[in-house]
Amino acid sequence: MIASKSYRWTDTRLGIMTILLLAVVGGSARAEDNVLDSLQLHGFLSQALILTDDNDFFGPSSRDDGSFKFTEIGANVSLRPHEDVLVAAQVLSRRAGGDGSEASPELDYGLIDYQIQSSQRRNFGIQVGRFKNPFGFYNQTRDVAFTRPSILLPQSIYFDRTRSLGLAGDGISLYHEERLQAGTVRTQVGFGRTRIEEDVDRTLGLDRFPGSLEADTSAIGQVRYEHDGGRIITALSAASANADYDSPGAIPGDGDFHFQPWVLSFQYNQEKWSLTAEYALRTLELKGFNSFPDKDKTGESWYVQYTRRFLDDWQWLVRYDSLVNDRNDRDGEAFEASGAGPAHSQFAKDVTLGLQWTPHPRLMLAGEYHNVDGTGWLPTQDNPDPTETSRYWNMVLFQLSLRF
Amino acid sequence: MAWLKASRHGCWMLLAMLYAVLGSATMSLAQEPDVLLVANDGVETHHLTRDTTRAIFAMRQRTWPDGQAVRVFVLNNDHPVHGRFVKERLSVYPHQLQLAWDRVVFSGMGQAPNRVRDQQEMLERIAETPGALGYLEREYLDDRVQVISMD
Repeated sequence: MIASKSYRWTDTRLGIMTILLLAVVGGSARAEDNVLDSLQLHGFLSQALILTDDNDFFGPSSRDDGSFKFTEIGANVSLRPHEDVLVAAQVLSRRAGGDGSEASPELDYGLIDYQIQSSQRRNFGIQVGRFKNPFGFYNQTRDVAFTRPSILLPQSIYFDRTRSLGLAGDGISLYHEERLQAGTVRTQVGFGRTRIEEDVDRTLGLDRFPGSLEADTSAIGQVRYEHDGGRIITALSAASANADYDSPGAIPGDGDFHFQPWVLSFQYNQEKWSLTAEYALRTLELKGFNSFPDKDKTGESWYVQYTRRFLDDWQWLVRYDSLVNDRNDRDGEAFEASGAGPAHSQFAKDVTLGLQWTPHPRLMLAGEYHNVDGTGWLPTQDNPDPTETSRYWNMVLFQLSLRF
Repeated sequence: MAWLKASRHGCWMLLAMLYAVLGSATMSLAQEPDVLLVANDGVETHHLTRDTTRAIFAMRQRTWPDGQAVRVFVLNNDHPVHGRFVKERLSVYPHQLQLAWDRVVFSGMGQAPNRVRDQQEMLERIAETPGALGYLEREYLDDRVQVISMD
């Protein structure tokens, strides 16, 4: 509770800072003539209907009428007060199940970007503020339906359970693009404080204790190589997120939390189709707590996805997506034997078929079907008792998205 | 010596194919005028590499190499001239470029390009906007704008 309040406070503070900066920059810019010409406003809205036969996903989806509790609304403003400077901020309201309290608008990013160098061979710049973490292909715009190939991103890598951790950092980010003979190398490195919210406490099972996780310094980096204008794209992303657990009492006691994910990404693009694959290793460490021994677990995620465009504004998709919570206990048998919960909560294999129609550049309609074995990425918030979940389940989603 | 005969045969085949390819290439050049890279007359850079052009149209690079702010103009995604420019001159597909714009616009990495309805409007906007960059078919050019060479 204390944590969520203090983070909301940080959000507010950042919001105020950004507005002030915008005002200052806007004010000083009036000296120049056409600065406000560069002002842009963009936004998006998407609403989904989710139906499941067993288990709940983002609200009471297994009830007859399904769940409408998956809504994403965002709006951003950007301005170029000087030829090398970009100021940008976005507010996001997102509901994914829950009682609706988490849908209050938050500052998604708010930054000042100074492009220090920009020549024929390279560009190089720095961002200060709250920046989106470059992680895998989709993380930076994971809440914007138009940038996703399907309604749900592959949940093995882009799951909701520790979503706040990977979303954005408050600090400094550097980016660089170097154009070589055969292709382009792009690098982005960020240092700062991650956002840690209640989802992480909940996922780690720390929400039953009165203390809270406080974000510590973290780092994230991505190197991306685009060959032949992006026909082949490969990327390697790595992050190291740290947090301190502040315990008011001796149970569970103060402790440290480390999260180190790696993602290897690959994409092959043709005019009518794209083949995408990503592989991730996630190392989670909990150390120094009084009430349980140190924990160290490496999870493994990967997916392969084929998208095909047809009739100008249609696209279909097929994907196989796999998640294992602990590489040393792939089928979850040891987990179940220890009495911690059902084996099927430790993995998830998801076969997805999807369809997208974009009849107008501002409108997208999508539908998809998931056949899932395992509940590895099923939100704990929607399914508080893991023993009541079903191992095999099916899910159908529909979504309407608008943007401007 | 059957292999020799075969390889000589192969040589002729290759030549014939080369001729066909070259022939069709020159024919298509004659039929379809290139879509040219066009800038505001005040821009002091007269040449861009293809990679730099691509980075500017993908909205990742915000200034001309000489430091002036660049303002990018594009036609709608389904406009045939947009399709030809993007595919033939930038070597990417329109859907990839659209995705690149959505990614920069919704992550705070950049802004969206300016949309114009047709080539007449493209010409007018480039002519009146300092630092403007866009593309036009040859017959839409006039002396208020300049052609930027690109390799």
